Amino acid sequence: MSTVAAEQPSTPPGGFIAGVGRRATSGGVVSQIVVPIAAVVAALVVGGVLIALDGTNAFSAYREVLRAVFVGKRGLSDTATAATPLILVGLGYSIAYRARVFTIGGEGQYLIGAIAGTAWVTAGGIRTWPGFPLVVTGLIVAALAGAAWSGVAGWLETRFGANIVISSLMLVYVAGSVLQWAVRTGIRDPDSFVPNSRPLLAAELPRLPGTSTHAGFAIAMFLVPIAAVFMARHRGGFRVMATGFNPNALDANEISKKKIVLLVMVIAGALAGLAGMVETAGSTGRLGAAASVGFGFEAIIVAMVGRLHPIGVAIAALGLAGLTIGFESTQRVLDVPSTLVGVITALIVVFVVIGDALANRGREGR
Amino acid sequence: MVEANGTSLVEMRGIHRHFGDTHALRGVDLTLRAGEIHALLGSNGAGKTTLVRILAGLDRPDEGTVTVGGELVERFDPKRMRAMGVALVQQHFTLVPTLTASENLVLARPDGWRRGPGRNESARLAQLIERTGLSVREDVPAGRLSVGEQQRLELLRALDADARVLLLDEPTAVLTDQEAESLLSVCRTLAAEGRALAFISHRLAEVFDGADRVTVLAEGREVVRDEPVANHTRSSLASAMIGHESSGTFTDRGGREGSRVSGRLVLSGIEVGRLKSIDLSVAGGEIVGVAGVDGNGQSDLEAAVSARVAMKVGRVELDGLALIPGNPRSRRTRGLAYIPSDRYQFGLVGSMDLSDNLDLGRVPRWRRSRTKRRAGRVDELALWDVRTSGPGARASSLSGGNAQKLVLARELDGTPKAVLACYPTRGLDPGAADSVAARLVRCASEGAAVLWIGAELDELLAVADRIVVLAGGRLLGPFFPPYDRAAIGLAMAGESHEVTVP
Repeated sequence: MSTVAAEQPSTPPGGFIAGVGRRATSGGVVSQIVVPIAAVVAALVVGGVLIALDGTNAFSAYREVLRAVFVGKRGLSDTATAATPLILVGLGYSIAYRARVFTIGGEGQYLIGAIAGTAWVTAGGIRTWPGFPLVVTGLIVAALAGAAWSGVAGWLETRFGANIVISSLMLVYVAGSVLQWAVRTGIRDPDSFVPNSRPLLAAELPRLPGTSTHAGFAIAMFLVPIAAVFMARHRGGFRVMATGFNPNALDANEISKKKIVLLVMVIAGALAGLAGMVETAGSTGRLGAAASVGFGFEAIIVAMVGRLHPIGVAIAALGLAGLTIGFESTQRVLDVPSTLVGVITALIVVFVVIGDALANRGREGR
Repeated sequence: MVEANGTSLVEMRGIHRHFGDTHALRGVDLTLRAGEIHALLGSNGAGKTTLVRILAGLDRPDEGTVTVGGELVERFDPKRMRAMGVALVQQHFTLVPTLTASENLVLARPDGWRRGPGRNESARLAQLIERTGLSVREDVPAGRLSVGEQQRLELLRALDADARVLLLDEPTAVLTDQEAESLLSVCRTLAAEGRALAFISHRLAEVFDGADRVTVLAEGREVVRDEPVANHTRSSLASAMIGHESSGTFTDRGGREGSRVSGRLVLSGIEVGRLKSIDLSVAGGEIVGVAGVDGNGQSDLEAAVSARVAMKVGRVELDGLALIPGNPRSRRTRGLAYIPSDRYQFGLVGSMDLSDNLDLGRVPRWRRSRTKRRAGRVDELALWDVRTSGPGARASSLSGGNAQKLVLARELDGTPKAVLACYPTRGLDPGAADSVAARLVRCASEGAAVLWIGAELDELLAVADRIVVLAGGRLLGPFFPPYDRAAIGLAMAGESHEVTVP
């Protein structure tokens, strides 16, 4: 009887990500490939108009972006370095969002990973280890810490029904406070005046031969196909997809949906924690009070524009990193404000959302 | 309340309503008179709720006329119908859980654009409570009131608008017996004041306790039209609800008698939800039909036997080993096939393709490429006669019958030891229903213990070796062939010798 309305699956809150998640996981070729490309083009066009309003020739500005990335001395290396944390965190998001688990706490997991990894590799008795085991154990500790931090939000939802969007975000602020404590008290370098951890020294990631990019980029690029194979060919990927589409059917036939929620939270947290340590050991060399630079939030956009597909995530991360690196140079050469990258990124998001809505309407209206 | 008792307040004539291919109402008449309580009966999907929704302006008829208080309704709109004095208390409460009783009243019918002082609101509630005798705690958020109180508050809200016609959609479904009793006596009072009341119910006892007249719907038609309750007995109403048409072309149950393994599927002392100490043992090769009206514990029984939920008390054993909730894959490996009542919610993932859906519950750790996965399922789909564009089609693109065949293809693969079939033919056309029933019968003849929860008695009569009735959370019976329809109908009405089923 009149239970039709009541039986409708409820849409979990999560704002625009929820909508994007639904569309990105159910769309055809149009929303998978055409929409993000069109959105990037449209955002660049609008960005060009803004550059022109600022009094610079938009074409020469974009030419400088391309030159800086592809011709400039360290352009490609810097792009790869900047893309590395985005790829790692974005991969985690892309898997979680496939299950319609809308965690936005990557930034916190990133920080906790960086703190735990740094604490491990700078701890007395361990920091004297040779480089290779130090690097590997540091990364493992970071991934485990990030997974645990993320798992808390997952557990709060599966056990008490606390909304993951909120709890994962709140844990970002807790992690930020933990960082401030860690660099001032917990793992402070006694020889330093400013709040810092000890330098990582032997625990730093080696450069990739012939480039100025650290080995973290190789780790990230190695994890991209692994994530793709996991989603396409492993049982876990099937379960993640089924959770996103119909958790009840999964629950009745395959595995408890709560386990999948925990699984994707742990995967996302591990990747974000890994990203934190990779960035610390690869780029900054030590953990400072300003370690939170927002990769965890930028990666949400990366996952979304990358259509929640591992390869798409890598492309989107590299594209976004390229824009950032390119505009840094454009600012130096042509005095175009590099904050324009933020504007263009935001425009990409807006256009992706619009494009998805249009593609969706087209499908429904056939 | 100026109408003299007996004046007809509502007249619905020749109401038709289609939802897509479903013909929900096929020319239904309904008359509600002042001072009378009218009971609407019928099995699930008979059209009762659609009928009251139309009267409340939440839906519109495709054909037919509705007059309220002599005035012809031209536009079906909830606000208009409320203004005409029709109020509906829906099955699912529509209170704002964080607001108190008086705030809920004000929300539904504000005194102008500005909220007055709180004491005015309380006074309004107090007056209403005094006038009706329905007690509700005043300063507690509605969400924390007991279910009975919430129901009373819903009623108060309806009466606040001074309704002449009160419609109650399964008002007692969520109430305890005492609460239901007091609700019925309130209904009496309200009717005595000159209102016309109609309530939908599944419980026959209430009809005889509370109602003056009764209408029974079956598949959108009236089988009992506006007759005094006094003209009926429980069994006559029960058999009217069940219907007499026989569609029995199902495979005969003969020839399966020999191969019984007793006690394959054993339910012992199950208590969860509405279920009260359910004991049942199904032998291998046997089909046990569970008859009864929906809402008497059917969904709890389904959830418990399929190990979807943990039970408070009791256990389900398959070949002597208990099934453990929380590990759905073990259900399959242990050999229990589960055909859910809601195949789109619990059986299939609509957005995934057919090959993925066939993998559900038995997906290997590593999967082959999508192309190979799909190619490997072509024969299986043909074998089970799933008509589709191919294994790459989405499950949501299948028609009801084909979707059910897909579920069967997955669940009945590899000779299951037991089958839990919940309304396996619901929503299917006769041909598809027959083939589904035939598959289940074949399972039984191959030695599976089949527990068939069904709504259509004729179907159960045709296939089951034994029928038990689930009424009020208890199992009644068993009944053996040749079946006594009247006795089963009586049991479905909750009116039977209670026998523990061996």
